[in-house]
Amino acid sequence: MSQSRFNPWTWLWITIGTLYFFVPLYGTFDFSLRMKRGQISFLAYEKVFADPKFLQSFRYSATMGVITVIVSIMLFVPTTYWIHLKLPRLRPVVELLTLLPFIIPVIVLVFGLIRTFSRPPFRMTQTEFTTDILITAGYVILSMPFMFRAVDVGMRAIDVRTLTEAAQSLGAGWLRILLSVILPNLRVAILSGSLITFATVVGELILADFLVRPALGPYMVVVGGGKAYEPAALGILSFGLTWICLGIIQLVSRGDVRLQPIGR
Amino acid sequence: MAFLEISGVTKLFGQGAGAAVDDFSLSIERGEFISFLGPSGCGKTTTLRVVAGFEQPTSGSVHINGVDVSSVAANRRNIGMVFQSYALFPNMTVAENVGFGLRVAAQPATVVQARVAEMLELIRLPDYGRRYPHQLSGGQQQRVALARALAVQPQLLLLDEPLSALDAKIRVELRAEIRRIQQELKLTTIYVTHDQEEALSLSDRIVVMNVGRIEQVGTPFEIYNYPRTAFTASFVGHLNLLPVQVTDAATGACMFEGTPLASSQAAPANQNGTARLAIRPEELVLSGAGGNRLTGRVLSVNFLGNVVRLRVRVGAVELSVDLFNERKLVLPAVDAQVELSFPAHACWLME
Repeated sequence: MSQSRFNPWTWLWITIGTLYFFVPLYGTFDFSLRMKRGQISFLAYEKVFADPKFLQSFRYSATMGVITVIVSIMLFVPTTYWIHLKLPRLRPVVELLTLLPFIIPVIVLVFGLIRTFSRPPFRMTQTEFTTDILITAGYVILSMPFMFRAVDVGMRAIDVRTLTEAAQSLGAGWLRILLSVILPNLRVAILSGSLITFATVVGELILADFLVRPALGPYMVVVGGGKAYEPAALGILSFGLTWICLGIIQLVSRGDVRLQPIGR
Repeated sequence: MAFLEISGVTKLFGQGAGAAVDDFSLSIERGEFISFLGPSGCGKTTTLRVVAGFEQPTSGSVHINGVDVSSVAANRRNIGMVFQSYALFPNMTVAENVGFGLRVAAQPATVVQARVAEMLELIRLPDYGRRYPHQLSGGQQQRVALARALAVQPQLLLLDEPLSALDAKIRVELRAEIRRIQQELKLTTIYVTHDQEEALSLSDRIVVMNVGRIEQVGTPFEIYNYPRTAFTASFVGHLNLLPVQVTDAATGACMFEGTPLASSQAAPANQNGTARLAIRPEELVLSGAGGNRLTGRVLSVNFLGNVVRLRVRVGAVELSVDLFNERKLVLPAVDAQVELSFPAHACWLME
């Protein structure tokens, strides 16, 4: 790392990258502050927060995000554990499966969901509650690549198999092993998977739009269609939210290295 | 019936593959220290895992204290296990690790605390309870793993190459510690290793294994001095082998490149009358009187401290000769002609 510290090319590329990334962001931010003619103000932000629809849709998306995270953890931690322990040969297959959301467009997914589940015998789009179940399932699938990968990497950092056997020889059953040996050692992995999942759900547009649920994504599109300054403010807000999520991941994983090197 | 009875255990991994363990039967008495010794892939770890309940045998059974445990889950067998990689729970302190089995068994907190303190005392790390595993050295971690396995008072202790990941010096130290604790607790123990020195120094009995089969079971003295198979003889300790023509199969007399040699046992049956005469390096002496004599040229002299190891060419073969060091010892020069002798009772004929 130290050998190329003073390489001017490194700095050139870093500068170009930074400009490419920050100039549009700064432009949007600057624009969002100019709602009042001729002066800098947070009026656009005040208007966003004053709109009850914003808070409603944000609350809806955040709730769905939390539910998705919980369902994903319950689905992927035991599954990944089992694959590591008993079916290591199946790992590449599952890894490929979890990548499907990157390959199949969301629009295809949502049409598939609607065609299958809005008809008899399911009729799941008829009530809000069953639609929310459907949309959560969709979100879990969309966040699958992130959640699976995070947990998978976490499991590889600890010797799942030997730890399990050690706990077994001390009399522990499966639930005990999962809860007091495996989960605590995956804290950071699960947290980073959860935050990315949460950010994905909060920013999601197509599923919520086609299933007609009051999520943040569709709201932003509606606002963006009719107004000028508020969408810029919203953009900055959602960007900030994602950054806060990523920042927490960084902070926690670094803190954990100091405390427990194996928990990464 | 012995305390631990392993009967006809065979383990096949998948179709077409050879048996990892092939018809393994052994009786182990209460309080015995048994080593499974053999090269990697000889089935020693698989056998241990069958006893622990981590592997289901393809056929055969395991009885502990008269109870058939073949279909009992690993977490209900009450067997302590120590792993090569320590396998301490990284999220728990030393004390929490040691107390884990007791908490699983829903023992009251005071009992757990007292037992943990007692265990830490036993492994001589009384002040380490609050540390995390990553704050300990490898040797200390393995001690903690041992304490954790012993805390639940298992009826059987299994150690799977527990010292292989440690430095030579710690290895010898911890070896003595394991033996001390085992004797103190009079705990029936199976120790898996590929290190003959460990097996010889620790065990009441050694089980030498090769390609899934038992080669020989015996005390360290028996295994070393009276190996029954060529594999045991060559795997445990160094062994010189001279190709010889058997001249009298009944008395074990033979001929090596024109020199008549006497051995103590009858020769194994062989159609063309050839055999190999086996002799340990430490049984050969320089220019001693009596017994068998051979003449050779010194190829190298290695001073190892307590022992001096010579390589001597005799005819077409190279022999190892170990001399005990003493201050008066006169070392032969390289290329010098030396006379080697050994008594008939020190050597034996093998196929």
